[in-house]
Parts: sequence; C-alpha cells; structure tokens
Amino acid sequence: MTVVSEGRDGYGGEGGRRPGDTGGRGPHGRSGDRGPGAGSGPGAGPGWGPQGRARGQAQERGESRLPDELRALGRSLDAPEADGADGSLGSETMVERVLGQILAEHLAVPVAESRGPGERLRAVRRWARLRWRALTATLCGLLTVLALTPPVRAAVMDWFDFGGVEVRYDPSAVPSPGAEVPGCGRSVSLGQAGHRAGFEPLVPEALGAPDTVTVTDEPRGRFLVSLCWREGGRVVRLDEFPERLDPAFTKTLREQPEWIGLGGGPSADGVRDYALWFPRPHLLGFWLVDADGHRFTREVRTAGPTLLWTRRTGGEDVTLRLEGVMSKDRAVGIANSFEKQSGKSSK
Amino acid sequence: MRTREGGRIVDEAAVIARVRAGDPEAYAELVRAHTGIALRAAAALGAGADAEDVVQQAFVKAYCALGRFRDGSAFKPWLLSIVANETRNTVRTAARQRTLAGREAAFAEAEPLIPESADPAVATLETERRAALLCALEKLSEEHRLVVTYRFLLEMDESETAQALGWPRGTVKSRLNRALRKMGRLLPDFEPREGGDGGE
Repeated sequence: MTVVSEGRDGYGGEGGRRPGDTGGRGPHGRSGDRGPGAGSGPGAGPGWGPQGRARGQAQERGESRLPDELRALGRSLDAPEADGADGSLGSETMVERVLGQILAEHLAVPVAESRGPGERLRAVRRWARLRWRALTATLCGLLTVLALTPPVRAAVMDWFDFGGVEVRYDPSAVPSPGAEVPGCGRSVSLGQAGHRAGFEPLVPEALGAPDTVTVTDEPRGRFLVSLCWREGGRVVRLDEFPERLDPAFTKTLREQPEWIGLGGGPSADGVRDYALWFPRPHLLGFWLVDADGHRFTREVRTAGPTLLWTRRTGGEDVTLRLEGVMSKDRAVGIANSFEKQSGKSSK
Repeated sequence: MRTREGGRIVDEAAVIARVRAGDPEAYAELVRAHTGIALRAAAALGAGADAEDVVQQAFVKAYCALGRFRDGSAFKPWLLSIVANETRNTVRTAARQRTLAGREAAFAEAEPLIPESADPAVATLETERRAALLCALEKLSEEHRLVVTYRFLLEMDESETAQALGWPRGTVKSRLNRALRKMGRLLPDFEPREGGDGGE
C-alpha cells in the first residue's frame, strides 16, 4: 500500500498517512494527528495561498485541517472493543459470525469466473456500444472490399503480364454518363499504319474495312493502332497494340468484368483464347502524347462496354480492345470473325 | 496487493486464491483484516445500531461475489462498496434513514466509549466541533458526503475512493475539493486547537 502523497491537491494535511491504518488503532498512526498543521506545511502553501481568496486566515486554516478532523471523526466511530491490542476481539466475533453463516447456508465456494476473457468481452462490448455506428460502417466497407476485390485482383494479375491492360477495382470511380466513343481522327492507310506500328493491324471480317485508321505513339517506343467504323452516328473503335509488360491502359472498375471463352478451340500452343467483357461504362486510363510528341501524360476518360482480348499476329501478341459495340454477343462475334482472318493471314 | 491491516500483512491475492480454492479459513483472514474499517464505514454511512449486522451481511455477500472479484484490484474498496450498498438497503428497508439528530446520536453514542487517553486527537476534538462537522457533512449533497466519507472518515486514498465509488479519479479529486470548500464555508470559524498549529 502506498503512502498517500497529494501535496498538490491543496489538502496536504494528510501528508504521510497510511490509508491501510484501519483507524489507527495502534499508537503508530497517531503522530500525524497531534498537529493538524504539521504535515500540511508544503501542501497548504501552494494550495491555498495563490488563490487569494478573500477569506480569513482562520477559515483557511480550518479548511486545510478539515481532512485531519474528518479522519479523527471517522476513527471515533470505531467500535470500542476494537480498541484492544489490534481489534482482534471485534474482528474475531465477526469472523465467527461470517464463517458461521457461510457454513450454515452451505454457500458455494466462490469459484473464480473466467474473468479474463469475460472481462475482455465485456470491455469489448462496452467499447462497441459506444462506437457501433463507426464500427458498422467500417465493417460494411471491409466486407464489401473483401467480397469484391479478390476476383478483380486476379484479373489484374492476369492482365498485367498478359494483355498490357491493368484492371483496377475502385468503387469510387464514377464514369460520366453519356460519354461517347472517341473517333480515330486523321486517317492513314492500313499499310502505313502497319509500317509505322511494326505489326500488321488485324481487321475483323465482321466489321469490314475500317473508315479511319490512326497510329498513336505510346511510351517506350510502342505504337497503338486504332481502327474506327461509323455505325449510325456512333463510333465502333478497335485499339490494337503489341502486348508488353507495362500496362498501356488502366481500367478502373466498380464491378467485375466477365470472362468469355473465344471460339475456335484451343490455339496451336494449346491455350484457349479468353476475352474480358466489361459490360458497363468504366473509367479508362490511357497515354496521351504532347504536341511535341515526346511527353506522355496519363488521361482518363469514360469508356463504354468493352471487349478485351489478345491475338497472335506475325509472331507477336497483340492486345485488342473493342469499344462501341453494345451487345456482348456481337462483340464476341467480331472477335471470332477475327479468328478466321488472322488464321488466314498468319499462313 | 499487500495490505497492512491491524498489524497483519495480508497478501490479498493469495488469500483470495485460497478462498476460491475452497478454503473458508482463508476468508477468515480477510474478515479479520477488514472488520474494523467495514464497521466504521457502516457507522459513517448511517447504519447505526445495525452496523454489525450490515457488515456481516456485506462479508457474506462479498464471499458469494468473490468469484467476480477482479484480480489485481484492491479488496478494501470493493468490500466497502458492498458495505455501503448493504447499509443503504438496510436503512431504506427499515425506513430509518437517519436524520441529522439520529446520526448525531449514533455518533455521540460512540464517543464516550473511547478512552480519551488512548487517542489524543479524538480526545481534543471538542463535542461542539464534532457536531458542527456532522452538521456540515449532513448539509453536503449525497455525492460530496460520500466522497468525504470514503476519502477521510474511512481513510482511503484517492484511487481506492475512486474504486469504491466507481468514479474516475479526476471526479473524485474535483468533488472532494468542492466538498471540502463547501464544508469549510459551512463550518464556523474556530480557534485552532491548543498547540500543534505552530507550523501553519
């Protein structure tokens, strides 16, 4: 048991009293009482003085000795028989009475309740009760992320090394409504495009010859070939680029894309071709070249339903992304019509 | 925690462990060590002549509840909160909430039994001063009276008082300050006791 030391609370009078003194029945506890002011010297000064209360010195003194007086008052309540050597008489009687009752009433042994976990549980409950709102919100958010991210993350892993397109999950990525597929701009011929890009652009049979063809510089000496078709005022756009390790496009999604097996069965290396169908508008990050043609900046636009797949052409894997075709079936049909053509052209 | 009670050193944790292991004699040690302060608490809280019965009941209830006693905390404040509860129940059931006069009578009853020679401090506490103290104590609000009682009449330290009352320590401190200030205002000025005040 520690010595009470509260010199700062203004009632320093209790100075060195041991609280466990049990009324100070023994003579040892008494010394502090004889002079109520004796122990209060250091404590009383700072406690009372600077406050400068307009009270008489006598009252201040009365107040600062109050604790001692109250203690003495408390001791005066002790039963007279406790005045014996160390109060054994009174307490022995009490021991007999208490133990007698415990035995008489066959009271069960107070087995320690598994206080540790129970107490902790109670503490957690108390804590949770105070913060249930925030807790619920956090839990819901956590569950959402847990439920939605793993498949998308898997898609990111697949596409990172594979198609040069990074797919990211971000529930806050809100695509702007009514975004249109951008056209291809000034056209070059297919031959020119192939010459510049270093690979033969793939043209899907289902769409026929493109209306416009452009080649865009991409970072690290990469080229993007875009083919555009006009269909009743809307644009169908096919981006093709040689697949490299670093992603050229970043798709930021709020929902998982759909995996689609492309027709034609397993290709020569035994791996069946797969496509990713993004049924909803989403945010698309892409590279844009500065006017000087050297600096690349990352741009983001809203892209509509998109089919993404890869194809082998001229010994190089090319990633294709078809945008502007609203129906999945038609998009897959276009991709498959490619199949035959590229099979022909690779011969 | 080691408590020094009545000249005995009681290793509370060990004793409580023994009680929980089914050794009622170990409980005798706890009773022995705390009977004095428990009786004082009952008296200070107004149990009057029922103090002994109240304390006995409190000890029995404490025994039954010992399974829930939090290891590592002090036994005395825990016991005294049970005593206070038991006192309140007894006083309430009997509809004998002590009036100022009744409580004074209870205090006065005890007074002559204390041999003045054995306790100079008590002996020098004049009867009027005593009455004035009790009167001031009585005029305090329940919370203030409790904190003064626990802290000074029962001589517990601040953390024990906080534990017994279930208040935060800061609350104990501030209420104690306010209560003492109030008591100081309620008490009539009085001349310092003979001697002993030279240091002030």
